Amino acid sequence: MLKIENLHASVAGKEILKGINLTIGAGEIHAIMGPNGSGKSTLSNVIAGRDGYEVTQGTVTYKGHDLLAMEPEERAWEGVFLAFQYPVEIPGVNNTYLLKAGVNAARRHRGEQELDAMEFMQLVREKAKLVELDQSFLSRGVNEGFSGGEKKRNEIFQMAVLEPSLALLDETDSGLDIDALRIVAKGVNTLRAADRSIIMITHYQRLLDYIEPDVVHVLADGKILKTGDKSLALELEERGYDWVRAEEAAA
Amino acid sequence: MSASLQQIRHAAWQAFEAAGLPTTRDEDWKYTDLSRMQALLGDQWWQLPAADAAVDAASFAIPGLDAYRLLFVNGHFDAAASNLPAAIRVTSLATLIQDEPAKAMELIANQPDALLNSSIVAANSALATDGACICVPENTKLDKPLYILYVNSGGTTHLRTGIDIGKQASVEVIEHFAGSDVSTGVTTAVTAIRLRDGAHIEHSRLQMEAAKQCHLGRVEVNQQRDSSYTLHATELGGIISRADVVSRLQEPGASCNLNGLFVATNRQHMDHHTRIDHNAPHCISRENYRAVLDGRSHGVFNGKIVVAKGAVKTDSAQQNANLLLSPHAEIDTKPELEIYNDDVKCAHGVTVGQLDKNQLFYLKSRGLSGDEAKQMLTFAFADEILARMGNQSVRRFVEKEAFAKLPNITDLEEMLG
Ligand SMILES: Nc1ncnc2c1ncn2[C@@H]1O[C@H](COP(=O)(O)OP(=O)(O)OP(=O)(O)O)[C@@H](O)[C@H]1O
Ligand SMILES: [Mg+2]
Repeated sequence: MLKIENLHASVAGKEILKGINLTIGAGEIHAIMGPNGSGKSTLSNVIAGRDGYEVTQGTVTYKGHDLLAMEPEERAWEGVFLAFQYPVEIPGVNNTYLLKAGVNAARRHRGEQELDAMEFMQLVREKAKLVELDQSFLSRGVNEGFSGGEKKRNEIFQMAVLEPSLALLDETDSGLDIDALRIVAKGVNTLRAADRSIIMITHYQRLLDYIEPDVVHVLADGKILKTGDKSLALELEERGYDWVRAEEAAA
Repeated sequence: MSASLQQIRHAAWQAFEAAGLPTTRDEDWKYTDLSRMQALLGDQWWQLPAADAAVDAASFAIPGLDAYRLLFVNGHFDAAASNLPAAIRVTSLATLIQDEPAKAMELIANQPDALLNSSIVAANSALATDGACICVPENTKLDKPLYILYVNSGGTTHLRTGIDIGKQASVEVIEHFAGSDVSTGVTTAVTAIRLRDGAHIEHSRLQMEAAKQCHLGRVEVNQQRDSSYTLHATELGGIISRADVVSRLQEPGASCNLNGLFVATNRQHMDHHTRIDHNAPHCISRENYRAVLDGRSHGVFNGKIVVAKGAVKTDSAQQNANLLLSPHAEIDTKPELEIYNDDVKCAHGVTVGQLDKNQLFYLKSRGLSGDEAKQMLTFAFADEILARMGNQSVRRFVEKEAFAKLPNITDLEEMLG
């Protein structure tokens, strides 16, 4: 699904990603953990195609295509989805209208028939139910006046509607109370599928109790320092990151 | 015509001749150069004939609007094409001048200081041939809006409209300026509104002149106790346009709410000067103006708020936001607050900017093309103002006309849902 090789990227002339290697197979869930400022959001922004990041070395291959050559919207049409760490508010742009435009742009791209208003509303209602998002949020401006937790839930709702092949969840669990976390996790688990891969960036092992990852990576100082299974997350929670760095330095 | 009306007209003409057009040396006209208008129209700008072509007025009208109608074609009332309400008194200025010159004089002389502060108003006072005269009696609520459509085929027209709203009465008035692109010219339009105790008006003023037309407009509102005035000013048309809006809050409890949107493209020049006089305690004013500027267009916004010495507990807020879609577009914006007492709440803010990069990326990451994302954000920015319109037919019409001017509008119908 996704293959990242020796990825170096800088922001404003400063190197943030210093040689990332990561391979994610179809249907897999990978968790990425790491200290603040280590480059986790930078990695997800580079994958989603945000401006302002300069890739100086390396490649990102998605479904066999050169992902870095694609515009952000083309990536979206091809099934890449980023749930933002800090979703922006866009007053005046209707949540549902945005999604309809997004869904139909992707369908056009794939040569499929666009959904009409009725079909779309049906889809949206069903997905809103899945993440227990109140119907009133559908007609509001994108994230306009949403609480932190509501914004995160809206991201998962959008993911459910857009049905991506590769979803990057950047700290979607941060700022969620325990009920909201359970709901979001349920949404993600429902979307688990053999042809859908998920990258979850998180600081908290508790998310992984709800969504079980296949692989856990530690990203620190712009590099993947360690890769393991679920137990690695538990160990990180107990011991912090310093021992990983020490291990790396020794190696 | 009575002697006194003649005298007023004559005095106005002399004032106009003495003053001439304002120049950019005049602080109030610093950014709007009427010598450009004069160069376009010539020395006889104040009396250019309209093109000798039939005007299809119906083609300009707001579709689906359920309203009483007054149609003016090239500055003359067209009674046959109008549909007047029975409940209130509506006449044309031309009729009033003939039948009741004293009343006509009241309307034309209504603003003694305006004669002096603007030679354009003076010219209008001297030359206005027609306009609407509307009297809403006490405690009357008109069941439908009054839609005043002024169409021209170029040439100069001087329009003078007076609206007098009785105690506790309420009315919605839509003034719509449009024309065909066959010839150049200028429209001067002065609208004087008087709101008596507890009266209310929702006033839409749609400037949608043809591309080569100039437009010089003025709205003067005098407000008595507890009256409320709401304006929706949209500027879309014309090559050079200027509108002055003056609201005088004369007695306690009066409030005004001024909303404005201009969308300028190519070389359009649009200038809005507003002035709110808080002359009494406990009055409220709200002002929200936005401009979307593309091409080499130039926008001007000047929002003056004057709080008089005795006007304690004044509550005033002004916002002006400007979106520049092109590096060659320009805006000159200036809030001007003159406050002569301490016990007031006055907030104001100005922003000038481009589309937000984070918002653009968010939309693209959901599958919108760069053009679609820009269009959606531009629409959202402008519609914040139009969403304040109570009349949905008017709002839809303005939205369509406004966004049809901008590039990349592909599925407007869909977006408006
Ligand atoms: N636009 C920018 N300009 C300058 N520096 C930036 C910019 N964006 C990111 N950085 C820097 O890059 C580094 C990595 O940031 P990034 O957001 O990727 O960290 P993160 O791992 O997601 O951290 P967190 O856990 O706090 O979300 C930080 O030092 C940050 O300050
Ligand atoms: Mg981050």
